[in-house]
Amino acid sequence: MTPRKRAATSRLGAICTAISRLPRGTGTLIFLMIWEVLARISASSFVIAAPSQILDYSLTHAGLLWRAFITTLWAAARGFFWGNLAGILLALVATLLPRSERLVSTLALLVFCLPLVATGPILRVLFGPGDGPQVTLAALAVYYTTFLPVLVGLRAAPQGWFDLIRSYGRGRLIILRDVRLPAALPYAVAGFQIAAPAAFLGAMVGEFTGAERGLGVLTVRALRALDLPATWSIALLAAGVSICTFSAVGALGRRLDLAPPEVLLAAPVGNPSSRWTGAAQAFLALTVTLSVWHVAMQAYDLPRFFAKRPWDVWRFLTSDPAARAQLFAALSETLSLALPGYLAGLALGAALAMLLTLMPRLSATAIPFAIALRSIPIIASAPLIVWALGRGATGTITVVAVMIFFPTLVACRQGLARTPRAVLDIFAVYASSPIRRLFGAQLPAMLPAFFASARMAIPAAILAVTTAEWLATGRGIGALMATVASTSDYNMLWSAIALIGFAAVMSHALVSMLERWVLSRTNPEQLAR
Amino acid sequence: MTSGVQQDITLQGVTKSFGAPGRQIEAVAPTDLVLQGGSMTALVGPSGCGKSTLLRLISGLEVPTRGQIRIGTETPDQLRRRAGLAVAFQDAALLPWRTVTGNVALGRSLAHRPRDRAAVAELIRLVGLSGFERHRPAELSGGMRQRAAIARALAGLPELLLLDEPFGAVDELTRDRLNTELPPLWEARGATAVLVTHSVTEAVRLSDRIIVLTPRPARVAADIAVTLARTRTAEVLASDAFRAICAQVSQALRLHQASEGIPAQ
Ligand SMILES: Nc1ncnc2c1ncn2[C@@H]1O[C@H](COP(=O)(O)OP(=O)(O)O)[C@@H](O)[C@H]1O
Ligand SMILES: [Mg+2]
Repeated sequence: MTPRKRAATSRLGAICTAISRLPRGTGTLIFLMIWEVLARISASSFVIAAPSQILDYSLTHAGLLWRAFITTLWAAARGFFWGNLAGILLALVATLLPRSERLVSTLALLVFCLPLVATGPILRVLFGPGDGPQVTLAALAVYYTTFLPVLVGLRAAPQGWFDLIRSYGRGRLIILRDVRLPAALPYAVAGFQIAAPAAFLGAMVGEFTGAERGLGVLTVRALRALDLPATWSIALLAAGVSICTFSAVGALGRRLDLAPPEVLLAAPVGNPSSRWTGAAQAFLALTVTLSVWHVAMQAYDLPRFFAKRPWDVWRFLTSDPAARAQLFAALSETLSLALPGYLAGLALGAALAMLLTLMPRLSATAIPFAIALRSIPIIASAPLIVWALGRGATGTITVVAVMIFFPTLVACRQGLARTPRAVLDIFAVYASSPIRRLFGAQLPAMLPAFFASARMAIPAAILAVTTAEWLATGRGIGALMATVASTSDYNMLWSAIALIGFAAVMSHALVSMLERWVLSRTNPEQLAR
Repeated sequence: MTSGVQQDITLQGVTKSFGAPGRQIEAVAPTDLVLQGGSMTALVGPSGCGKSTLLRLISGLEVPTRGQIRIGTETPDQLRRRAGLAVAFQDAALLPWRTVTGNVALGRSLAHRPRDRAAVAELIRLVGLSGFERHRPAELSGGMRQRAAIARALAGLPELLLLDEPFGAVDELTRDRLNTELPPLWEARGATAVLVTHSVTEAVRLSDRIIVLTPRPARVAADIAVTLARTRTAEVLASDAFRAICAQVSQALRLHQASEGIPAQ
């Protein structure tokens, strides 16, 4: 560090300590005052609600907010339970039947990528009134982020532990009980931690589609009426719940005295042994997806008018050129916004993570903040971001980037922290500059985490872009799905879902390929198994 | 199960190769051996020569590519399936979420033995980990972890004990003490033991017989009987006979060390 930089950092530190020395609450007070002034200045642009307005709204509507909150929380809690149960069971199946892993992972990803905009209305038709859709969407929002870490945890055990159990002549059941399950526990807690805010978000989206009560209902009303104080109050409430549940699960994990998991996200699946097995697996996944889709609808005898079979989608797409053109135009518009946002979110997250290793003092304050922001539900932040930045490309791209930025930052930080101590010591012995250490030792250690978040960011980007289009900009495939859902154009809706699912799986495969290509050069040990 | 019936270990034409056909690595060359039941045999050889592989073959964790192994009339798999053997692994393989006590107790429960707190505590004391009962493996040094692994292997009262460089990370002083205190634990029960070690003195001190192995693929280079009194008292260790055997083993090792890289045919 140059003397000037050091002086700057120490000045920053001095300001921090000065603020922390002020009487309790003074900092918050100053923050609120700045906020209030900003809101008053920008009142004409309808973006920021002032704290006083938010307080006023919350107090006058306390009863309403409370009842809505309890309704949503109850649906979210049940969705949390079922979703996590499903995630754990899927991970167990993929572990105990290793041959099924690829198929299970692909199907799990596919279902997770189904856009909430479209699944919401369909579930509403399926369930009718009541909170079935809310619970289902909450479950759908969480199972994947539990499935992945639990799968890693169940498999992450070193060979020696299995040898130990086997040397006593014990089999898979004991290995599961004494090795795999305890090893997976911290991974499961990490998954639950992400799942808790996600379940709340899922329940709120479920309420968008014709529920009678809940925070989601209030959100829709507030957005329609451009009621700024109400929108902000709900957003703050949702954010508060998310942060509280996130921290509560984290505290539970610490109480259980669990070692934090080594890798948060899934290690990549190894290369298929030949080109043919890869193609065969892709074909198998496609066949199974289409059969499950078809058979499930037949088995439950769902009405053909709204539950479209794969064949209906195919016929629709091949027979109606006008609709096809409309669909593809919407999809390409959406992708042209999702891709820059995706790349920007990843790049900024990784860049800030690296920057923070160069300034450890800053990271002590920045990281908890980032973790808290990560759990603010997208449906609360998306409309506000779009209102602030406009309905053009910038707003949507920012929503996507923000959605991806925080998880990437946190994951990359964890990756950087995994740099082996001994390697860092070598750089320290030669008194290398922090930059040199970063690129020589820490960056390679970060890459697996970076690629893992790049894979996880694909469903996140789809969720973000479709939500922004649906709630705020009114363009692209998100808005198209919302429109055709309300006009009961189910051919178009199912076609849109199928296309999005296809695009998601293809992007995932592309990122995985890139990941294997890079990691086989930088971190071959990650691909060993 | 300390039946007292001491089963010989018989290896007949045992070989082991790893890897895909065409690019195979031969770890163990054709080997015929009979290890007497109730005795302690030491395997010494340069690192990477196939000692661990040989031990894993005897434990049934690895299946020979050719040839067969019998312990008495049983296959290693049969012995393993009735929890008749225990392995102290080279890398300890302790479960990180269990305490020292928990790990040692696991050795009992996996071997279908009833719970016995006193026995577990006594073993922990014997390997010199008193005071660390409630510590997790991450809080122990490498040597302490290996000692916990030995205690776990002994906890199941095995008929066949397989020790893979059990004292590799243990300091000299502790090692000396363990070399005196541990052998009576399995000798008293008449258990058969196979020890892999790097240390020539340790091999001579603990075993009845020393098999010197060639560099990979492992084959028997020298088979040296340790003709010393069973109880290796300080006088025995200071004797000329002891030193002579050490010299004999070292020489056998050196002789074959020199042939590394030259096909050992
Ligand atoms: N599972 C395995 N797959 C491939 N090669 C192995 C495997 N286990 C051991 N080897 C090879 O066999 C040889 C002997 O290994 P090992 O028995 O561990 O040696 P030692 O214990 O004598 O140091 C080594 O060259 C090692 O690379
Ligand atoms: Mg070895």
